[in-house]
Amino acid sequence: MLKVLIPTIMLFPTIWLTSPKWLWTTTTAHSLLIASISLMWFKWTSETGWTSSNTYLATDPLSTPLLVLTCWLLPLMILASQNHINPEPISRQRLYITLLASLQTFLIMAFGATEIIMFYIMFEATLIPTLIIITRWGNQTERLNAGTYFLFYTLAGSLPLLVALLLLQQSTGTLSMLVLQYSQPLQLNSWGHMIWWAACLIAFLVKMPLYGVHLWLPKAHVEAPVAGSMVLAAVLLKLGGYGMMRMMVMLDPLSKELAYPFIILALWGIIMTGSICLRQTDLKSLIAYSSVSHMGLVAGGILIQTPWGFSGAIILMIAHGLVSSALFCLANTAYERTHSRTMILARGLQIIFPLTAVWWFIANLANLALPPLPNLMGELMIITTLFNWSPWTILLTGLGTLITAGYSLYMFLMSQRGPTPNHITGLQPFHTREHLLMTLHLIPVILLVTKPELMWGWCY
Amino acid sequence: MATYKGAPLATQPKTLDPAEYFNLSPEYRRAEEKRAALRAQLKRQYLQQLNNPHRKELIEDPALTRWTYARTNNNYFRPTAKTSLIGGLFGVLPLFVLYVVFKTDRVS
Repeated sequence: MLKVLIPTIMLFPTIWLTSPKWLWTTTTAHSLLIASISLMWFKWTSETGWTSSNTYLATDPLSTPLLVLTCWLLPLMILASQNHINPEPISRQRLYITLLASLQTFLIMAFGATEIIMFYIMFEATLIPTLIIITRWGNQTERLNAGTYFLFYTLAGSLPLLVALLLLQQSTGTLSMLVLQYSQPLQLNSWGHMIWWAACLIAFLVKMPLYGVHLWLPKAHVEAPVAGSMVLAAVLLKLGGYGMMRMMVMLDPLSKELAYPFIILALWGIIMTGSICLRQTDLKSLIAYSSVSHMGLVAGGILIQTPWGFSGAIILMIAHGLVSSALFCLANTAYERTHSRTMILARGLQIIFPLTAVWWFIANLANLALPPLPNLMGELMIITTLFNWSPWTILLTGLGTLITAGYSLYMFLMSQRGPTPNHITGLQPFHTREHLLMTLHLIPVILLVTKPELMWGWCY
Repeated sequence: MATYKGAPLATQPKTLDPAEYFNLSPEYRRAEEKRAALRAQLKRQYLQQLNNPHRKELIEDPALTRWTYARTNNNYFRPTAKTSLIGGLFGVLPLFVLYVVFKTDRVS
């Protein structure tokens, strides 16, 4: 774990001491090196247990895919931001990459944490660099509103979590995940216990987000610059899912009764947010709502606490992270050229940007869960286990799949097909950097088709 | 060809109706000329931008900007009886219906 954490911390001197000419090259190379070192986490020494050399930071089959995704994403974020940050003075560029690197450090410590309090502190700590990125480098005046919504929704959810964790510490004497997984199931039978149960989960449900408390997500995703959107969609939402999976261990047997409202909100949210996607005019807003829809499926899978549900949730989280980030990169390429996020403005792009049309095609096919990509595999596992939980869910999840296919195809056809308007034939051609960015997003998704064992988690 | 006369009782389209041309007041004609002049100026401006070989950016369309802002700002929503009913029917009622459905299905 330190093999990756110390190079990530050393990224800060790299950022501040390299000469301006080499800044982006060195930071991208350094973070790519960290990403390749992080791949060694996949060598699990034990099939189900934790792999660690100390008691504070450890990896297990649940956190490893998310950790590798986090490490993989940093060079991609730096690649994506290169163009729009270029006009700014050097120290501000260094500050931007510093924020990305500090986000990376907090995320590695969050996913690798063995103490739940450390996870909580890192969970909160990731809010600060993200808030600064959204409010300082966003492009519209609405970014202030977006930052406020983002901060206060997450904080309002996580303050009860702090209280709940302290209560848990009081009653069990420890908050180490290594120990808690073997503890006796708690006696949870009063109203106070039910509130404690809800307090444990609300923070992660807001982060995921669950349908009723999802309002911060479209604002934050749309107003953030491309690196902010990428990290938000790919990793920060998964913090919520990961936290839920860790906490569910201790929350039985109340979960059988109390999870109903949240499962229902998640399932109904898939359909509602999917339908909203079909009426969006703003491209990033469409991708943001599609994120809510997919994470609703993940939330449903986690809340019913079955092995297939957990496996499907992790697979869908990883696949969705890569694909959503790819879609935001594509939306950013359109934004950098037209300076507008309106979908009908940048339409008919296939004729003028043919290779990019291929990336759009693959990313949208992945988004609508085309077999054999892992998006479908995760969705199928969650849908199957939900069907086992109650056969009526198939109506909701089936309709949700249909609507997902609908808006993904809508996004593709609107941006790529159709007559190219006259006024956009003069757009800048695509850079190699942007093509590289897209391949680095999409090739892992395709490769994961061949080895899903990396993502399954410990339930197999 | 023999002189063509349209069917005397048929209705003419507005633009072919001779009454349109000869009954116009001079104010109306002046207003129409001004509007035509404005349209021609706007079209000239657009064509100049479109055919400018050094243009690298998009031509800005203020109507599109207005439309985008109108679509994305939800200032046009007002809670009335009808909208509350729709909101309740699609947003609140399904939650309770689904709860009842799942509960009875799983308990039985």
